[in-house]
Amino acid sequence: MGALIQMQGISKSYGPVHALEEVDLTVGEREIIGLLGDNGAGKSTLIKILSGAIPTSSGTIAIRGERVSINSTSDAISQGIETIYQDSALVPELSIARNLFLGREPLKGPAFLGWMDQGAMSEVARSLLKEVGIEKDIPPTTPIGSLSGGERQSVAIARAMYFDSELIILDEPTNNLGVAETQGVLRFVRNARDSGHSCIFIAHNIHHVFQVVDRIVVLRHGRVVADDIDPEQTSVEEVERIITGMEG
Amino acid sequence: MPSFVKRLISKPEFGPFVLLLAMVFIFWELNPAFLSLRNISNTLAFTVELGLIALAMTLLMTSGEFDLSVGSLFGFSPVLMWTLYNTGIASIEISFAIALATALGIGLISGLFVTRLKIPSFLVTLGMLLVVRGTALYVTNGFPQRTWNAKDLPLAQLLVGDFTVAGLRLHMSLLWFIAAAVLLSILLTRTKTGNWIQASGGNANAARARGVDVNRTKIKLFMLSAAMAGFAGVISSIRTAAANPNSGTGYELEVIAMVVIGGTALTGGRGTIIGTVFGIFILRLMRNGIVLIGVPGLAYNIFIGTIILAMMALHSWLDRRHQEGG
Repeated sequence: MGALIQMQGISKSYGPVHALEEVDLTVGEREIIGLLGDNGAGKSTLIKILSGAIPTSSGTIAIRGERVSINSTSDAISQGIETIYQDSALVPELSIARNLFLGREPLKGPAFLGWMDQGAMSEVARSLLKEVGIEKDIPPTTPIGSLSGGERQSVAIARAMYFDSELIILDEPTNNLGVAETQGVLRFVRNARDSGHSCIFIAHNIHHVFQVVDRIVVLRHGRVVADDIDPEQTSVEEVERIITGMEG
Repeated sequence: MPSFVKRLISKPEFGPFVLLLAMVFIFWELNPAFLSLRNISNTLAFTVELGLIALAMTLLMTSGEFDLSVGSLFGFSPVLMWTLYNTGIASIEISFAIALATALGIGLISGLFVTRLKIPSFLVTLGMLLVVRGTALYVTNGFPQRTWNAKDLPLAQLLVGDFTVAGLRLHMSLLWFIAAAVLLSILLTRTKTGNWIQASGGNANAARARGVDVNRTKIKLFMLSAAMAGFAGVISSIRTAAANPNSGTGYELEVIAMVVIGGTALTGGRGTIIGTVFGIFILRLMRNGIVLIGVPGLAYNIFIGTIILAMMALHSWLDRRHQEGG
């Protein structure tokens, strides 16, 4: 499996506090990795650097071996890196279709008018909703605010899949979701891999991580302490011990 | 209940529309002069001037900001224009262009303060209100600028010239208002810019994460709002033959009330130009109607306050129903 993303020697300091120290992280093509660690381990900082939300203090990022600079979320999106946060980064007042295409609205007519092709947006939204497994017949004009938590996550994942993001980062996507909704999100993650995407999956619930990932990476105190844990060969308890540092 | 009726009721414009219809009917019942040609003509003339500001404010509030300096710009822009013209510094057209460009600049400064320095728009535009109003008063010594020879100028005809349709005397400003309402409604509902405006107010972080330039979007809306206030002020100065530096005092709150009554969320994210048009007419017809039916004009604020509270309660109830899938 070739490497899609290679982060090397990533460090991040906030004044005297070292949030990350010399972190290396590799994500393969069509690979789902689980990024685990206790609170303050540096997971979110690492992900924010990769998604362009914050700059790194030192280190390099390469995509398919080519060094890239990611200085903003727009940079990350244009490099094919999409992040789905706990709150899905959606606009509650906008419709499903408008959220899906926010920032990349398809236009019709002269470009300077900025006239959205709402017919095309609705059509794509309708088929995407089916693709990600939303069984209910929800019109694409429905505001995101009236969807359930799981449905919102599904829309966010659908957006990442539609725009052919090569790497989808899911930051606590199953937080505050019910059992059925969580299973839906996990199913979408597997679908994403099957359709050629790579994922970084962050969740506090290790059991959720074990259900979908190919490999587990553990961070502790801003450093990588394990990066090749096979969830099929390792127990949840062992991983918990690595996370807490109480290895027996 | 049939689904199309449910959909209709859930629209933010529905409540203001029903209220407007009820008001027209009640005032007309109590005093038939309410719908006389003369009364309609007089009411429309002033209504659309405030309405122009409310239309631009709708977009700004949808983006999550508001502008308290619009009332002072309503007074300042015509003062600047007529001072330039009356002192022979510039032709009327150039004076008009300078007045609008100055308003745009003031909007730009407000926008930069809000977006770059992260100061709430309430504080920035409150400060700007005082600066602009103070400047208008200082340069005029508090006296109105003469505009009584303006009516024959081609620019004045273009902005406020009157014409008669089926016995109803109307001003050109009505056409400007209709054009602005149509264009801004299309902008908000059909274009990429409209999508960005709503996203900026609904969840600015999510919008930024999608590559939306939230700051630039808001700055442009501050500029539009300021320019529209200046434009409305110039129209008003020609119609009333006076450019008074005190004009527009208190208009900012009346305009914001028109916008929220129409269904635009004060917190941003949701806005409706059609609703604002209803809001504009509700407030102006209320002012006109209560005088016609003999209620003391001083009681006007009681009615307006009650309408605002009632409409907020209605919008909040509709929102909750919508969230619950009702």
